[in-house]
Amino acid sequence: MNPFEKLQGLYELSESGRVPTVPDSRPPRATTRAYVVAVVSVAVMTAAGVLLAPYTSHADLAMAFMLAVLVAALGGRGPGLTAVVLSAASFDFFFVEPVHTFAVADRSFLITFAVMLAVGIAIGSLVSRMRAAEAESRERALRARAEEMRATLLSSVSHDLRTPLAVINGTATSLREGSEGAQRKQLQTIIDEAQRLSRILTNLLSITKVESGTQPKREWVPLEELVGSALSRLEPELAEHPLTLAVADELAHVDPILCEQLLINLVENATKHTPDGTPIEVRARREPRAAILEIADRGPGLPEGPAEQVFEKWFRGSTMRVGGVGLGLAVCRAIAVAHDGSIEAVRRDGGGAMFRVTFPDDGAPPKVEDADEPLAKAS
Amino acid sequence: MTTADTVLVVEDEAPMRRFLRGALQAEGFRVIEASTLATAKLLVTVHVPAAILLDLGLPDGDGLTLLESVRTWSSAPVIVLSARDREDDKVAALDAGADDYLTKPFGTSELLARIRVALRHARAQRAPDTPVLTIGPIKIDQARHEVTNDGKQVHLTPTEYRLLVLLARHAGKVLTHRQLLTDVWGPRSTHQTHYLRVHMAALRRKIEEDPARPRFLSTEPGVGYRLLTDR
Repeated sequence: MNPFEKLQGLYELSESGRVPTVPDSRPPRATTRAYVVAVVSVAVMTAAGVLLAPYTSHADLAMAFMLAVLVAALGGRGPGLTAVVLSAASFDFFFVEPVHTFAVADRSFLITFAVMLAVGIAIGSLVSRMRAAEAESRERALRARAEEMRATLLSSVSHDLRTPLAVINGTATSLREGSEGAQRKQLQTIIDEAQRLSRILTNLLSITKVESGTQPKREWVPLEELVGSALSRLEPELAEHPLTLAVADELAHVDPILCEQLLINLVENATKHTPDGTPIEVRARREPRAAILEIADRGPGLPEGPAEQVFEKWFRGSTMRVGGVGLGLAVCRAIAVAHDGSIEAVRRDGGGAMFRVTFPDDGAPPKVEDADEPLAKAS
Repeated sequence: MTTADTVLVVEDEAPMRRFLRGALQAEGFRVIEASTLATAKLLVTVHVPAAILLDLGLPDGDGLTLLESVRTWSSAPVIVLSARDREDDKVAALDAGADDYLTKPFGTSELLARIRVALRHARAQRAPDTPVLTIGPIKIDQARHEVTNDGKQVHLTPTEYRLLVLLARHAGKVLTHRQLLTDVWGPRSTHQTHYLRVHMAALRRKIEEDPARPRFLSTEPGVGYRLLTDR
């Protein structure tokens, strides 16, 4: 399989419907067949009872009806109850004095009916609970298998495409060490482009991973840490832009790896689509039940048309500089959505664009107490 | 570094081996290569390399098994080669005794810097601990439990101090969340990672000029932290 077939396989894995994405935890409904079984088994017992009535006692007949209830209850609670009602009616009508009426002369038969009812309910409930557990475990196994296949395919695609890139990048950096002038610049171009391709690949793999249903691993992470680690990977891109940071000393409930990638994409997007020297602002704060990240620039702003189009896969704004392949912002939206969050693009007053990401949470970041006294007192 | 230092490269992709060989030989290392785990296991015992570069995905098995068998008798630094989206593998390798990792694609300077740090650290483990640790403008006086930044005293809580000392003793090297939690809060630490993150954030605010653009305390998302030395 070549890497693209593998990627295709990943999409099919999530779209073929073999993997249900919404778990159905309700117990399965009893089928019509189970009701037919209930009616037929009671009818058979009634017929048998009528034939054998001269030779058996009422107690034996009651046990025979119990058998019918048991058989029916294997089909679920509904058929079980149906059989109970039918058995009680039939037993009463055909065998309890006065025969051929629903009247009951001997009150002790009411106990028989009550026991029938109890047995029918108990068996029916047990069976339906067992069925539900079985269905759930089957679904869980299916899901685990799909998850495993996804992980295997992803890592194999990643390896196939990254290894050549790593060799190109590595060899070019080796050559750069001993070169100068125009040749050094050319080698730098190879390195830059290899790294760009590597970032595109990261985006492609991320969007595949997130869209195929891999759940974010959420943890409570300080906003400063999220912003800091993303910015540290963008040093060269940020060299030409004054950066303003307003990052609150708060926590966000996010997958740190995915959130870093979202921030890298948004900041990189800002550096790519704005002229050198224009400022970029990164703001991060908490609202009562969400963490909010904002990346704002003073570039040419959003392209014509509805703002949300920038989040479409393969969308490319027609700005002055050549961008990527139009995946960066689509990845951002996929990551935000995977966190049950949202992302919006806003045209700023005074020019420029702003992207705002909302990561909702339960509004209860864990408290970390540090009762420690300062260690070293000023001397 | 002495010119006689031998580096074992364990990598199944021939072009990758060529690049690594070229880069390492240019720097004066002696390079031996293995493309399978079986060969690697043999070469490790015969040549006793000073450092090992290990790709985790090998055709005849998981690189972790080599790591585990090497760790039973050797403390030679092992640097794992891995991809950007394999954070769990990196953590597993680091927790199993690997010294550091390189994320593909990486350049020559990154490669050599990691090897230098790993070799220096392997040697330092045999030398007695120095009383004062120095990381750029930051000085940690271990005898007096005092930390200064540019000559100015920094007031740290005991937890922050322990974190800083640990990172400084392993300066340049990544430490996983689990390694930091175990060392600072004890082997039976039940604290969650967010506990560590919050204390790291507090430490960052005390020693970094701009905590959202740290110079020293670098975050390796999904893996751990690293105290940067050469910036």
